Amino acid sequence: MKRFLDKIMLLDLFAGLGITAKHLFKKKVTVQYPEERREPTHRFRGMFRLDEERCIKCTLCARDCPIDIIYIDWHQEVNPVTEKKEKVLDRFDIDVQRCMFCGLCEEACPTEPKSIWLTSKTYELATYERWQNLYVDIDELQDWKVRPEYTDKEVV
Amino acid sequence: MTEPGSGAQTLFDLKEMELNFGPQHPSTHGVLRLKLKVDGERIVDCYPIIGYLHRGTEKLFELHPYFQNVPHTDRMDYVAAATNNLAYVAAVERLFGLTVPPRARYIRTLLCELQRISSHLLWLATHAIDIGAMTPFFYTFREREIILDLFEEYCGARLTLNCMRPGGQPFDLTVGWEERCREFIDDFPSKIDEYEGLLTENRIWKKRTVGVGVLDPDVAVDYGVTGPLLRGSGVNWDLRKATPYEAYGEVEFDVPLGKNGDTYDRYIIRMEEMRQSSRIITQCLDKLPEGKIMAHRPRVMKGPKVGEAYAAIEAPKGVLGFYIVSDGKPGPYRCRVRPPSFMNLQVLPEMTRNHLLSDLVAIIGTTDIVLGEIDR
Amino acid sequence: MMESVLELLGPELYYGALTPALKIAVLLFVGILPVITYLVLAERKILGYIQVRLGPNRVGPWGLLQPIADVMKLLVKEDVIPNRAIRWAFILAPCLVVGPAFVIFAVIPVGPPAAEPGGLDLFITDVNVGLLFIVAMATIAVYGLIIGGWSSNSKFSLLGGLRSAAQMISYEVPQGFALVAALLLAGSMSMVGIVEAQKAAGVWFVFPQFLGFFIYFVAGVAESNRNPFDLPEAESELVAGYHTEYSGMRFALFFLGEYANMIVISAVAVTLYFGGWYRPFPNVEALSFLDFPFLPAGLVAVFWFAVKVFAFLFVYIWFRGTFPRYRFDQLMDLGWKWMIPLALLNIFLTALFKLVL
Repeated sequence: MKRFLDKIMLLDLFAGLGITAKHLFKKKVTVQYPEERREPTHRFRGMFRLDEERCIKCTLCARDCPIDIIYIDWHQEVNPVTEKKEKVLDRFDIDVQRCMFCGLCEEACPTEPKSIWLTSKTYELATYERWQNLYVDIDELQDWKVRPEYTDKEVV
Repeated sequence: MTEPGSGAQTLFDLKEMELNFGPQHPSTHGVLRLKLKVDGERIVDCYPIIGYLHRGTEKLFELHPYFQNVPHTDRMDYVAAATNNLAYVAAVERLFGLTVPPRARYIRTLLCELQRISSHLLWLATHAIDIGAMTPFFYTFREREIILDLFEEYCGARLTLNCMRPGGQPFDLTVGWEERCREFIDDFPSKIDEYEGLLTENRIWKKRTVGVGVLDPDVAVDYGVTGPLLRGSGVNWDLRKATPYEAYGEVEFDVPLGKNGDTYDRYIIRMEEMRQSSRIITQCLDKLPEGKIMAHRPRVMKGPKVGEAYAAIEAPKGVLGFYIVSDGKPGPYRCRVRPPSFMNLQVLPEMTRNHLLSDLVAIIGTTDIVLGEIDR
Repeated sequence: MMESVLELLGPELYYGALTPALKIAVLLFVGILPVITYLVLAERKILGYIQVRLGPNRVGPWGLLQPIADVMKLLVKEDVIPNRAIRWAFILAPCLVVGPAFVIFAVIPVGPPAAEPGGLDLFITDVNVGLLFIVAMATIAVYGLIIGGWSSNSKFSLLGGLRSAAQMISYEVPQGFALVAALLLAGSMSMVGIVEAQKAAGVWFVFPQFLGFFIYFVAGVAESNRNPFDLPEAESELVAGYHTEYSGMRFALFFLGEYANMIVISAVAVTLYFGGWYRPFPNVEALSFLDFPFLPAGLVAVFWFAVKVFAFLFVYIWFRGTFPRYRFDQLMDLGWKWMIPLALLNIFLTALFKLVL
């Protein structure tokens, strides 16, 4: 009998309509992007940073990178102050175009604190051209120029 | 049917027409292509064509040391990266003979179950939208977003997690993660009720799913189908119960089984699995032991002994196995993946035969395939 | 000014040609087209709110300029005609969908006829077989869909066209039957007459004719190819159904036709079952404040008509946000095995009721 009533009264359909009607007045979950931004968590893997002072030029990060996009060249020099031999970086480039942000380079880094890290909380890495800004060298890695924040007013 | 190319033919001379379904069709879930033979709307034959997302993952595994391969596994079943990671690291641990500390095992179980929920939510969203109900999509994504936030907090990524290492976990849980997870899980069953309110009893939903794509248990076993597809046909085979790995032996949960093996049963099973997953997560949070999260291993690993190892886990879509052959070098000699989606896709022609075109999308939805895993 | 025009043209031309033409222009460019464009916005907004998101809100305040942006985009887009398409039919099809949908508005009264002779009727014409005219016109739209699906020379379009043919033809039958019951009750086929009959009876026809209204509305949803009966353009199955190959303005015409059909179905439902332009309970004096006596009567009539129509349109959108889609054979089942017998039963009961009274 109840099943018959259900069939006639379309109760199942009205239950669904009720749920959608309830949601009509619920708080919306949209994040209005250019005005509101999500703050990435502390462990969020974003753009690279490098601290040349801390780096011991061991190239472990380059070796641990699964897709070999870290290019490191160095030579030895005698430090005029301490008169000890030191490694000096010639080149520390990362081809971020191909990077998959796995964070293995950071994990491989033996220094404490890490000399290369991804937790810079940057996620607006999009560019309009392929070649723009996605091949970063040592200067950029140390002082990552945060791109102008995206606004919907911007016209390119 | 007349020979193709045998002269001037128009569409209407043929009784059966060939229909190319995908790879750019809105509901083939990625880049699946189906060659269909249809008589009107009735499907006479269905022939899946795969390979549009082939990236040579298995070959890539051979080129890298064991520890660099984890990020590649993220990209196979890209909606369930944690379970992929687990299957791979489990195989590597077996090869190296590493023992994972208990806390790491629990964290892995937590992550895998969260991943199972998020994968099932994505499945529900796309399945419902295939059948024409567009609203569940947004409700499920609302919850999936919270899970992804939890992942982001734990390991720094939302989709391609790279959150496990052979031997244990790379990070411990952050402060407050447990509370946030518990908060979500306590609330989650009521959200499932919401989805079910929209679909389970709905007569249109029932008409579209009951009796559609019936999969015979014998056929399912013959094809090597696993996961909710197999359990929908009533075969009790869940690796979490059959060969408990990580912390699954220490938590209580039920394995839902279907009776008829149709799309509706599989829908009910996946809904129930989400509830069971939240049960597992609650228990894991309660029991979470203190202690180390990484097994003792040297900083730079040498290659393992010559040998082979196979590890399989119950991924959201079925049994996911990694078979690794070692020749003593730092990287695998050969790595073979047993992806659940690939086996599940094989029964598609069996399931769709003599159904209508509308059922085809329902059946593709119910197999829950991810092309990244099929093509690798 | 109007008097001088009347003198210039003579009453025959003035009443026979100029006023209807002006009314058509006003109805089309002030009434229907803006309503349709903003209906699209309203649909996206309401759907968004149902789906816990905000809907379009970037173009203009609250997204109010979105429809204009959409129309501009569709107008300037390239109009692609597939190489192997049958050109004349391909071009004809969208017109066949839009044209009849607009023509139907000619007999729909949005307000009462003029109080004194020579005044302004709030409808373009009151045909004494108005209902028949509507049914006849609504039938033509089917050809547009079939021709569109067939002439595209694409398999998905063809399947969509065939689906729409089967669906619309089988749902026209119960819809027509439901209308027959209503006009039995009203004793008139003129739209104005039906509204007046409801006022005279003191009750909306939806109450004595609930079954008829239900059948009419469900069939109407199917007629206008909306969820849960949107099989001809089922996105997840047939890409876009009969208009897969259409782009730019021709696609917009199909789109326009669909929404115009929605409004037509709602307007007819309001006229037939919900008392047309009258306020709720037109014979209850206590509610006369609902007539807003300080406003011109014509405006109030249009207001009430619009409110009722929008309520229906909201239900359409609500359906779309809630229900899955039927399957082709199930749709036919529903139509032939349930709707038509029920509609016949409804006619029988109504006739019996008339006979007894």
